[in-house]
This record gives sequence, C-alpha cells and structure tokens, in this order.
Amino acid sequence: MAARVHVSPEQFTLIPYDANEIASIAEDVAALIGFPPNVDIEIEVDEELFAPLTGHMSDVIDGAARIWISGANFEDKKAPQHFSPEQARDDLIVALLRAKDRLSDGFDGASSDADITRAERAAWDASVNGRARELGVRVREQALRYEFRLQHGFTDVGDAAFDRLFAADSVTWEGLREICRETGAVDRPASKVPVDLLRQK
Amino acid sequence: MKKMLPESELARDERFVRSKIEDRIFDPRGPKLATRNTGPAMMATDRPAAAERSRSLMHGIFVGEIQALEGAGRTCFDFDDDEAPFQLKLDMARQCWDESRHCEISIKLGDHLGTEIGEYTESTFLYAAACNPDPVMRLTGVNRALEGLAIDVFNTMREFGKESTDPVLEFCEDWMLADEVTHVKMGSDWLRRLTEKDPERRERALEFQRTVDKIFNLGGFRGEQEENPVQLARRFRELAGFTDEENDSLSKLAAESTEEARQMSELLAGNN
Repeated sequence: MAARVHVSPEQFTLIPYDANEIASIAEDVAALIGFPPNVDIEIEVDEELFAPLTGHMSDVIDGAARIWISGANFEDKKAPQHFSPEQARDDLIVALLRAKDRLSDGFDGASSDADITRAERAAWDASVNGRARELGVRVREQALRYEFRLQHGFTDVGDAAFDRLFAADSVTWEGLREICRETGAVDRPASKVPVDLLRQK
Repeated sequence: MKKMLPESELARDERFVRSKIEDRIFDPRGPKLATRNTGPAMMATDRPAAAERSRSLMHGIFVGEIQALEGAGRTCFDFDDDEAPFQLKLDMARQCWDESRHCEISIKLGDHLGTEIGEYTESTFLYAAACNPDPVMRLTGVNRALEGLAIDVFNTMREFGKESTDPVLEFCEDWMLADEVTHVKMGSDWLRRLTEKDPERRERALEFQRTVDKIFNLGGFRGEQEENPVQLARRFRELAGFTDEENDSLSKLAAESTEEARQMSELLAGNN
C-alpha cells in the first residue's frame, strides 16, 4: 500500500532532519486526531527558516491536505539545528487539525491560508489549540492569548472571545469571522505584509 | 571571593542553556535566509512570526539583564578603592538594584508574552564585555556601549507595545528605559571624572566603547534603517548625555555593520 504521507524535501541538506521520521510522526498524529484515512497528506518543510521564524499553513487542494511548515517549528529551541520530535508532534497535530477543519462542512468557502487575515488565523489557532490540548498537546495558553491579543486587541472583549474559542469543541469559518467582527479586528487596517511571506522564496 | 570572574564561571540553575555566538554565525541556514525577504525588521504586529520574535527578544533582554546585574556587581567588588572610588561603587550598587528589578520585570513580561525562563538559549557575550580589568574601560564598555544598546532595545520594545496597543509592555519598557538613561549618564560622568587628567586613557576607553558598539550592532541588528530590528533611540541617547556627534558616529558605524553583514551574507550564499 502506498504511503499517504509525503514529506519534502526527501533529503535535508542544511539541517539533520529525517523525512521518514517526520512522515512517521505525521502518520501517528493523523491516527490520533481521526484524520480522514482516504485523504493524502503532503508536508513541505522549509529547512532554510530557523527560530524564531516559526509558522505553518494548512490547505486542502485537489482533495489532499497540503501542509507547509517552517523548519523552525521542528527545531529544539535549547539545541538549535536539532530536530525535536515532541515539538514536531505538537505542531503537526495543530496543522492537521486545521486541515481536518477545512475538510468539514463548516469550512465551505473558507479562504486559503495565503488569503486569510492575521486576525482570522489567530482566532482559528486559538480554537485548534484548545482542542489539541484535549489530545495531550503541551499548549502554551498564554502564548496563544498573546498572539490573539496582537491581532484582536488587548481588551476584555478580546480576552472573552479567546476564552470561548479556546474552550470550544468545534468551530466554523463563519464563527471565526463573527469573532473578528465582535473584537473589532475586521476594522483594523489590512496587513501591509503578506501573511504567507515566510513561505515565499 | 574570586575577583575577575570569567563568563564560564557564571552561576546558572538547570533551566538555563548556554549557547555560543559562533553556532549562530556559522549556522548553514543563515546565508540562505539572508537572501530572502522575511518581512520588516522592525517589530510590528503584521510582521511574520511577530509573537515568537518578541518572545525570543524578551528572553534575550532578560538574560541580558542578569548579565548587566552581574557586570555591575563585579565592578563593586573587583577593584580596590584606589582603582575605583567608593562613590563609583555606590553608583554600581544602585545600578545592581535597578538591574535586579529589570530581571523581575523581564520575567513577568516573559509570562505576559507566553514564554518562560530557559525556553531559549543564553549567550553570555554581553557579560564578556564587562570583564575588562581596567575599571574605566569596563565602565565605558558597559555603561556607555551596552547600556546605550539597552536604551535602543527598550525604546524599540516600547514602540512595539504602543503599536500593538499592549499597555503592559509599553508601560514596563518605558520605566526600564528611564533607568537605562541614568546608567549611561553615570558611565559618562565617571569616564569624565576618572580620566580628567589622562586624555590618553580617555581616548583608549572611548576606542574600547566603539569596539563594543561595533560588536553589538550585531551585523545589522541595530541602526536607523528599516532593515534594522532595533532602532537607534537618538532622543533618549541625548538625554543620557550622548552628543549629536557621538550619535552620528554610532549611526555611521551601525550602517557600516549592516553593509558588512549584507556583503558577508552574499559571499556565503554564493559559496553554498
């Protein structure tokens, strides 16, 4: 049976990451979160990026989950240039949960990750990480709250919205947009920097 | 107690992980990344990985505060009164109190941003600049060069707090910035007093300061261009006693460092 997880590059040249190890972790993660077994997963790791330039994007294109992720996300912060299986597992859970969301009815019509606003993304991340925590992921709630605040404001309304997202069992694309209206994030000036800038080479 | 403590003997608990600056300099990804556009260097909410970058910088500020505390503390102890007047040591003791407070504030700011002690590695090259055996050199390197850098860093973070509407970050950085201005001023005053009758020693000390300044421009880390993450805080430097001439000179040095880093990256990228 052909593997359904494909990792690129197959051979890392700048850092000692192992594509097979990453694929194996992704397989375990997919099973853990109940990712649809008939959907292929393609993971592209950008090995040129290092901490603190973290980031990942999850899209569904032609029926397959396409994950782009910064090499920094898999990097052991205490041992730069070294792979951290625990960190990889945690971040792949979050990335694949977002891909799983995209496969659900609640995300029909959702923008691709390159077109999503930073506020929409922060809201989505809050929700996904809340669910990831239930799966045993070491979620740093305060770090997420700070990321949410950067895009939605340092206000009580924003904090209450974050709490609801973090505790929710599920979320929809329209629900995320409603949160952005509620916090006033939709009224903020559009970002001058493309949200997928790190992905661009 | 031992005098002139080398950086290798600094006391840290198990949470801290020491890194060497050369590991980052010779990281094979560096030259590749230098040729890419990773967004505006200045701190901003629409900068890619803005939160992670601010957490990493905040952790760097925190360990910098520990080392500043250690540096000022060593100056209180390392020199006899004929080398460094008691009044100078009193100023350093007062600075220790400020740096201790900054450590505590930085820990709380780290909590606020969602990081923790030891999440990132610590490089001790700041303390290394505080190991000069000549008190005048040390004071100039630490209180004028490094504390001057602290003015630039705190002002940059304060501006980021303002831009992101984060009242906690803006307020804390503003207060720490005020302390740094007094630290630089102490350095300027003591440099003048201790070298009043020795212009050659003063020039050597200022040359040492320029060397430290150049190192801490960190290949484009500080400057007055958009590509510099930490911006030169001219107004606060003036308040600390730096002249326009000194600020212009530092700006020129920073621009040279940025250009040298760019050329080095292009060279390394071409070799890979």
